[in-house]
Amino acid sequence: MKKFFLLTVIGSILFTACNNNSKSAFTGEIESNVAPVGTIPEQSIYNLTDTFTTDQNQTVRLSDFAGKPTVMVMIFTHCDYACPRLTADVKELEEKLGKNGDKVNFVLPSFDSERDFPKQLAKYKHDMKLDDNFTLLHGSDDAMRTLSVLLNVQYQKNQDGNFSHSNVISVLDASGNLIFQKEGIQANHEETMKKLNELLKG
Amino acid sequence: MKRILIFILVFSFAYATQGQTAGSVPEKKMLTIKSGEYIPFFRLPGTDPVFIKSFLLDETAVTNAEFLEFVKANPQWRRSKVSRLMADTNYLKYWKSDLEIGEHNKELYNSPVVYISWFAAKAYAQWKGKRLPTVAEWEYAGMAPLVNSREGTLTSYVLNWYSKPNPKVLPNVRSTYRNKYGLYDMHGLIWEWTFDFNSFIKSGDSRANTEDELKLFCASSTLYVNNKSDYASFLRFSYRGSLKGNFCIANLGFRCAKDIN
Repeated sequence: MKKFFLLTVIGSILFTACNNNSKSAFTGEIESNVAPVGTIPEQSIYNLTDTFTTDQNQTVRLSDFAGKPTVMVMIFTHCDYACPRLTADVKELEEKLGKNGDKVNFVLPSFDSERDFPKQLAKYKHDMKLDDNFTLLHGSDDAMRTLSVLLNVQYQKNQDGNFSHSNVISVLDASGNLIFQKEGIQANHEETMKKLNELLKG
Repeated sequence: MKRILIFILVFSFAYATQGQTAGSVPEKKMLTIKSGEYIPFFRLPGTDPVFIKSFLLDETAVTNAEFLEFVKANPQWRRSKVSRLMADTNYLKYWKSDLEIGEHNKELYNSPVVYISWFAAKAYAQWKGKRLPTVAEWEYAGMAPLVNSREGTLTSYVLNWYSKPNPKVLPNVRSTYRNKYGLYDMHGLIWEWTFDFNSFIKSGDSRANTEDELKLFCASSTLYVNNKSDYASFLRFSYRGSLKGNFCIANLGFRCAKDIN
């Protein structure tokens, strides 16, 4: 009887162990990619549950930006030509919004997972004289690639460590739905402003 | 009695382990692709070729039978449950149901899974403890010549395939050629997702003039084409450039890669 008991115990341990194993093999990373359906609409990029680190060294998810409309632009801080001008474009949007500037998130995720750590992001934020409505983000290669795919931003890393990338300013509503995109540097942002003002009214 | 007990324990343990690793679909063979240099199709002038570290690549594309295992284990990737953000309405549309490829599709069990999005391919790879190959890795591995050179040069083989309409029933994996690495069907069967498929920098509007191009794309004015006669590569890069992550398309599947530790 003792032996039978032992068998049962060991058997159930084995069984539990297997169960746990299969569970971790089947969930883990993958399931965490898709948030449970809740308040986030299906098409929202806030369904992405990868974590990012801000210029303030805080760990965030994209869904943390929910509640306000968001202007999002992917950049990297070692960029000589396009990114400072793109950043200036976004700053101009903020200025044009006046008081309403505080009611919008300005989020700049960086392509450069190897160099744009929080400290470097904070330096860029300071150098570009960006206020606290701006958040710069560091993330893994995988998270940034996924975000770029969701935002239809093309980019590739060059041999010298810099990036070729498309210049796209995206406007998201308070739930993370992609509402509007404008390509180009120093583009005409009349439409972008119109969309932002609509979102602020609604 | 003690011996019997040990025997039962060992046996049941062995059985449990086997059941876990093997499943009903055998593990896919991965082949080592040795390190080397790859000259990107589009690149900056004066830059060196890209150095590719040795890596592992699946011998064939992921099949319907293999993908079914993934869908069974990950309910969020079932056709009825998948998020539209992650896969468009064509996702696995030829399957009979969520968990059935279907009797009428029996000849497809061992054919590449298609009508799957980049997100789905990436999630499958993660589930397997693998990843999607980069464009550079895929192109580097795909460049290898045919084992049987009587079938012609790689370029002529690829162009010949591109010129043919899609077959009514997608053939099984290993039904085209094998290359010098031992990889099957790198060309000739399907197009394949890559991790950074959205790398190819092109204009959203080809009518845009060069000044606009410079404003739209950082470094775009300095990209040039490696080999202008390589029409096949041009088609492949253009195709990738036209995709979005949630697209599910008739002849687009994938195979997985893995780092060598």
